[in-house]
Amino acid sequence: MSQENLESTVRAAGRRVVAALAARYRNLDIAEDAFAEACLRATEAWPMKGTPADGAAWLYRVADRAALDTLRRRRTRERIELDPPEPVPTAEDLMIEAGIPIPDERLRLIFVCCHPALGPEARVALTLRTVCRLSTEEIARAFLVSEATMAQRLVRAKQKIADAGIPFEIPGKDAWAERLESVLSTLEVTYGSAHADAALAGPHAGFAAEILDLTRVLVEILPLETEALALAALVRYAEARRPARLDEGGAMVPLAEQDPCKWDRALIQAAEAYLQRAADLRPTGSRSLLAAIHCAWSARQKNTDPLPWSTILKLYDAMLSLRDDAIVRVNRAVALAEVAGPDAALHELEALDKVEMESFAPYHAVRADLLARVGHGVEATAAYDRVLSLTEQPAERLWLERRRAAAMAGGSR
Amino acid sequence: MKYALLIYQDESQAALDEGSPALKAIVARHMAFSRELGPKRLGGSGLKSTRSATTLRTIGKDKTVHDGPFAETREQLGGFYLIEAADLDAALAIAKEVPLAGNGAIEIRPLLGAD
Repeated sequence: MSQENLESTVRAAGRRVVAALAARYRNLDIAEDAFAEACLRATEAWPMKGTPADGAAWLYRVADRAALDTLRRRRTRERIELDPPEPVPTAEDLMIEAGIPIPDERLRLIFVCCHPALGPEARVALTLRTVCRLSTEEIARAFLVSEATMAQRLVRAKQKIADAGIPFEIPGKDAWAERLESVLSTLEVTYGSAHADAALAGPHAGFAAEILDLTRVLVEILPLETEALALAALVRYAEARRPARLDEGGAMVPLAEQDPCKWDRALIQAAEAYLQRAADLRPTGSRSLLAAIHCAWSARQKNTDPLPWSTILKLYDAMLSLRDDAIVRVNRAVALAEVAGPDAALHELEALDKVEMESFAPYHAVRADLLARVGHGVEATAAYDRVLSLTEQPAERLWLERRRAAAMAGGSR
Repeated sequence: MKYALLIYQDESQAALDEGSPALKAIVARHMAFSRELGPKRLGGSGLKSTRSATTLRTIGKDKTVHDGPFAETREQLGGFYLIEAADLDAALAIAKEVPLAGNGAIEIRPLLGAD
């Protein structure tokens, strides 16, 4: 029974306790080790003395003592004079103390883990490990590396934080925009890897739920940041589609062909609430516009409802003024093809930098489809070959192979 | 004349991790060398490993922060500042103000044993 109590306490409050310890000691390793020590002591103390009334506070208090002990030992080793240790209450003594508030330091920790002085991959791994508390093994599987390699990467990232002097502070006004952007893009990349795994059967299974939770926490702490609100909306819109993203054969179903009846309406509602809050604030960022695009799609209730292409095109036009890059251009071309025809869209794609597009799969996928639609079967087939060489996801590959076969047979759609 | 002597060495081969015997040995040799130089030595310090490095890149008006040391492309070392800053963010804030003629990069490396 107390084992179950410990597990549920760790699940519910572990992140908050570790974040509070990390912020207090400005060191991720000390926080992790102290928390592990507290959990170990709980497995001994709780069955004997009964589960404490406030398990989280107990863990925090015991871990805090353990962290202090570690620091004392280190300083003694380095022969720095310290006051003699205070009498330390035993873990059992703490059982009777009333709950102590645990400071909410998760935001600080997110800013540390997503600091731009860490490599983008290190940021994602460190956030998943430290903020979301996924195991090193889970993260390693998602990155397709061995557990030892991932452990090494995490050690390096933590070392960099300590050596370079990355502060455990919420950034000031000057650095705020850049640092928040780094946090949001890290969460985006993390969610992106979960989203790419359409069946959610792969190693990213734990991520999607974590990012839903983390974005909820983020907007709780930063209720006035439009881009944070928009990101919370975005991941919910994307997650709402999951039940409709694969057909019976396991192939990907593109958005326009998905059955809106299968979308998760509760998640869409949650997304809309966040988007509304973002819209009530200023300024509108590119994520808000992207969320508005998702919102336009989500207005469809059933298969027979019209496709919102002209709205989508207008939103992408607006997006170009905020963010003019290949992703936006290629997505805009998809909408343009529906509104103005495939020739106009192909013309737009021609304007993109060929070298830059070489290994950008969405470009080749859209181009292949457009070429097939204007009757250039051979070129379309070659473009599909190019996308397939760049795509690993089985669901996407299945869909692309079908389209390739159709293009080869000379069928346009 | 005043000169800067910039020391380049292969840190992976030399096994100069903090606290390693190799590092202790080289630090001892530098101390001896500094004593020998006497008043001719105006300043200087060891740097932590490049794993602790952060690079601030400037392209046009964009200044972006990257993990890792400066990777030599077209630019050459043109000078250096030794600064005191509370943490990496404070150091980056100062680095952003360093004048540059056109595009370039500033590598931010903590000094050895200066925590």
